[in-house]
Amino acid sequence: MDLFLQQVLNGLMIGSTYAVVALGFSLVFSVMRVVNMAHPEFFMAGAFGAFLTITYVTKNVLGVLVGGMAVALAVGLVVERVAIRPVRGRYVMIPFIATSGVGITLQHGAERLFGSDPVLVPPVMPSVSYSLGPLSVTRMQLVTLGIAAVLMLALRYYVRNTKWGRATRAVAERPDVAAAFGVDVDFVSRLTVGISALMAGAAGVTIGLLYTSAWAFMGLLFGLKSFVCMLVAGNRHIEGVMVIGLLLGVLEALVSGYVTSTLRDAVAFGVLVVVLVFKPKGLFGSYDV
Amino acid sequence: MSELLTFWTPVLITAGINSIVAVGLYITMSSGPLSVAHAALAGMGGYLAAVLTTNFGWPFPVAIVAGMALGFLTGLLLGLLIVRMNELVAGLTTLGFGETMAVIAFNIDYIGGANAFTGIPMRTSLPLVYVVLAAVLFAAWRYDHSRLGFAARATRDSPLTAAAMGIDIVWVKSFTFGVGGAIAALGGVLRAHYILVQGPEDMGFFVSVGFLIFVVFGGSYTFWGPLFGGMVLTVLPELLRFSSKDRFIIYGILLTLMVIIRPQGLITRVPTGGAPKWFGRRRRASTPV
Repeated sequence: MDLFLQQVLNGLMIGSTYAVVALGFSLVFSVMRVVNMAHPEFFMAGAFGAFLTITYVTKNVLGVLVGGMAVALAVGLVVERVAIRPVRGRYVMIPFIATSGVGITLQHGAERLFGSDPVLVPPVMPSVSYSLGPLSVTRMQLVTLGIAAVLMLALRYYVRNTKWGRATRAVAERPDVAAAFGVDVDFVSRLTVGISALMAGAAGVTIGLLYTSAWAFMGLLFGLKSFVCMLVAGNRHIEGVMVIGLLLGVLEALVSGYVTSTLRDAVAFGVLVVVLVFKPKGLFGSYDV
Repeated sequence: MSELLTFWTPVLITAGINSIVAVGLYITMSSGPLSVAHAALAGMGGYLAAVLTTNFGWPFPVAIVAGMALGFLTGLLLGLLIVRMNELVAGLTTLGFGETMAVIAFNIDYIGGANAFTGIPMRTSLPLVYVVLAAVLFAAWRYDHSRLGFAARATRDSPLTAAAMGIDIVWVKSFTFGVGGAIAALGGVLRAHYILVQGPEDMGFFVSVGFLIFVVFGGSYTFWGPLFGGMVLTVLPELLRFSSKDRFIIYGILLTLMVIIRPQGLITRVPTGGAPKWFGRRRRASTPV
């Protein structure tokens, strides 16, 4: 029972990161119908941003977070300008390849800058662990969970309760009608990529700090899993993506705790195939492509 | 001269094998479905043939036929599974299938598990690869002009109309997926008997996306497209070796530029059929693939 609870707890930590990365991914996909293959690189940029901030600026957690998110935002806006804006609205494979190309460039660019081995991200807080009855949790894990929770709530507030959030949902539903009602579709698209980059960057910072390493190719697996989260949940409801992200983390932790850790990565894809066969639009529904 | 030959022989063999798999993917995609499972199909064929030649001492041609049969049957089943899904969801289901196959291969000790299957006898040579490639291209050319080819393209362009014209779209889609899978498996068998190692990582998402990029980059309206894409994109990183550290950075930039400048692929077919149109100026508002 203790092992079970501990695995659930660990799963929630990783799952919250999956959810944050997946949210940005699904936001961009639902607003622009662009499968952004450079999204994992926003995540990677966040981790390297954290590394740079710690090395050159400050060791304050909040400062590191802001630094990482700023680097990810800068990368995101450049990617939007170069590879998304020119091909938006085209057949889905075209933006897919364009962003893949930028992704490859970013990965190998990071490899060139920081070397092909993971760099050590120095710890920014003492490794204290707390015990909750039989369970133990480190302070860094709590911070990870906290940041993810704040980001998810903030995004939910933005999408549901603000003017621009309403415009975002309108564009996701029908871009042409939204434009006819005076929504600046181009600006909403740019804003959406910016937000998705900020969220992926924050996730990159927390993972970089949690595992104390940043690596040029660290985005790949996280990107793929967040992709799966979006598809399993469907992109219509951001709450759905959050829940599926958390569940995926827990499920993976349970599989690696009770079965074998090599099967861990199969969980996501097994779930994906089963769900898509029975609910092609995801569990909670998707916008039409 | 001989130095040049020792350097280019492996490159040309790899380019030939990649083109074979890409032509297989082209045949699958000619009836509509987007497949991100062709690396997995190639890998399955490679595994089966490698086990047959290495552990059971079967002759190479028989192993090729067995690998192709496995690719055909798996492709047929995949085609049946995704026949009712829309293009994107179908593509993602094949993605899930491919990743699951990779993880399964990773966990079977008999075929080497994580350490890959090794000790495969060398059976592939430069002439063999190009004889096979020529045969595959001939088959693709015949297929393009066959009743099945026409039925497949009609199914891709409008399944509803095709069905109304009396085309059995379930059969056409699953059969072309099977044929494409068999050709991909053929490429996989050749690869396994050339690099002498067959590992689970050859079956994953990123390898499949590579094949997809060959097809869409080259142009998916005629079999010259995947041939050209497979050749150019395999040889290009080698040509860029003059700046070995930056070659993938340049590769990514070129990929993005190409797809923005010429989203319909390098080689397109004039809609009435006939000779491929090289570097033509014809532009469509949206690009069907």
